[in-house]
Amino acid sequence: MIPMQGTQGRKTLVEEGTTFKGSLSSTCPVEVKGRVEGDVTAPALSVSASGSVHGKVKVGEMQSHGELAGEFDADVVQLQGSVKDRTIIRAKSLEVKLSPAEGKMQVVFGECQLEVGSENREVAASPRPNEKAPKGSSVPPEGAKGASASDAAKGSSVRPPTDANGA
Amino acid sequence: MPELTADLVLKKIKIGEKVERADLRGLVLTRAVLDGASFRRCDLDGANLEGARLSKALFKNASLREAFLAGADLREANLESADLEGANLLGAKLMGANLNRANLEGANLQGADLSGARLTHAQLASATLGGARLIRAELAHADLSETDLSSAKLDEADLTSTDLSGANLEEASLARAQLRDAVLRGAVLLRADLSGADLRRANLSGAKLEGALLTGARVRGLVGTGGPVVGIRAEWVDDSEEASRAVRVTGAQIAELLAGLAPAMPAHKRYFGRGDVLRNAHLEFNTGAAVEIESLFEHCTIALGEGTELVIGKGGVLSGCQVQGAGRITIHGKFVEREGPGIVGATQLVVSAEGSLVGAVEQAHDLTRFGFEPGCHLRVQIIQAKKERSTKGGKQS
Repeated sequence: MIPMQGTQGRKTLVEEGTTFKGSLSSTCPVEVKGRVEGDVTAPALSVSASGSVHGKVKVGEMQSHGELAGEFDADVVQLQGSVKDRTIIRAKSLEVKLSPAEGKMQVVFGECQLEVGSENREVAASPRPNEKAPKGSSVPPEGAKGASASDAAKGSSVRPPTDANGA
Repeated sequence: MPELTADLVLKKIKIGEKVERADLRGLVLTRAVLDGASFRRCDLDGANLEGARLSKALFKNASLREAFLAGADLREANLESADLEGANLLGAKLMGANLNRANLEGANLQGADLSGARLTHAQLASATLGGARLIRAELAHADLSETDLSSAKLDEADLTSTDLSGANLEEASLARAQLRDAVLRGAVLLRADLSGADLRRANLSGAKLEGALLTGARVRGLVGTGGPVVGIRAEWVDDSEEASRAVRVTGAQIAELLAGLAPAMPAHKRYFGRGDVLRNAHLEFNTGAAVEIESLFEHCTIALGEGTELVIGKGGVLSGCQVQGAGRITIHGKFVEREGPGIVGATQLVVSAEGSLVGAVEQAHDLTRFGFEPGCHLRVQIIQAKKERSTKGGKQS
């Protein structure tokens, strides 16, 4: 469990059965048990198993047991539940626990993109700076944040998200 | 007769005076508020301190033999080298307490909370710790022989070099506990959780392991039970020297290894060592093989049979390669794709904290099980298996 940041234990809660559409910006941690469609900016985001977030999200910490779709920027991510098609997750740290061979999947990934770790981290045997990215490469080059989704899509059948709802 | 009455002791403590080296045998101080009090080197044999508040109290070198401390609050108390032989600490709160070199032989600690407590070199032989909480407790070199630890919580506890001979650990939780060089001769570990526990060089001769969970346990150099091991639950165990998970043992070989009846290395092990370079090669590994790569592979294609284990070790680099087939892949080193997808059809893909994966991953038809550890480096495009891309779980709602 990621400890929720913020003061005096306050948090913004989207309760089960509630659908929130639009832009949500909070200085408190946000907990989603219902459905959020739109942009979310907060120090922390927790999505419960019944919750879903479709849109653009920028948070410090994110823990999800529910459904994610869209574009997610976070420092630390713990992931369970499902990640829908055309979703991008950018994080400094990502944790996905391995599910047992016969057990339920911890995370069901759709066609999505993960950009995790420092952009400056050395990757041995990757193309040298003066070496062009090879034709057909299906992933964005290091540090190609922002343009990565569309660049990546050229090399594969994956399309980038076109709006906050991932539609 | 005690040297001081209970009232006198309470008065002294109230005014901040130390009660040290006093004869307090048999004193009754039930539910007394004695937080931070100093009883250093006192004789409290047979004293009744039931439910007393003694957090941060000092009992260093004190004698508390047969003392009644049930339900006492001893959080962060200093009981270093105290003699608590036969003491009753039922349900006592001992979180963060210092019990280094304490004598707890035959003591009753049932249901006590010793989370984070220090018990190095402590004497706990024949103590009763059923249902006790010892999460992250430090017990290195402690004597726990014949101890009852049934249903105790020992997750992440340090039990390095402890003597657990004949101990009852039935249904105990020892997840990620350190049991290196521990002696578990004849110990009962029925249905115990030893997942991720470090059992390197531990002695399990005569131990009972039926129903125990051992997935991810580190087993290099352990001394087996010496008899058949049946009914254990383990997807894999780590047989690498440095507990790097680079050498995974799976299937029936786990039971053989724990029994001490088989060589640890899988029969179909393939190892590519440091310094080797393979270019433009095509390699095929049959079902059940275990492949470990510490070399540099460039522009190679690797076909994995069903259930084949491929481990890219910390020194391993796969550059411009493609790995195909229903194998299980673990990346501790680096995988950099040039032409996607770099990984096709793996049933399991794990990238460890040191691992780096740059490339596209085409999932298995039944979806790939992913495991990503914090610290891993990913630039990954996950795509569905070609035939089922329009129907599988990632479909947009």
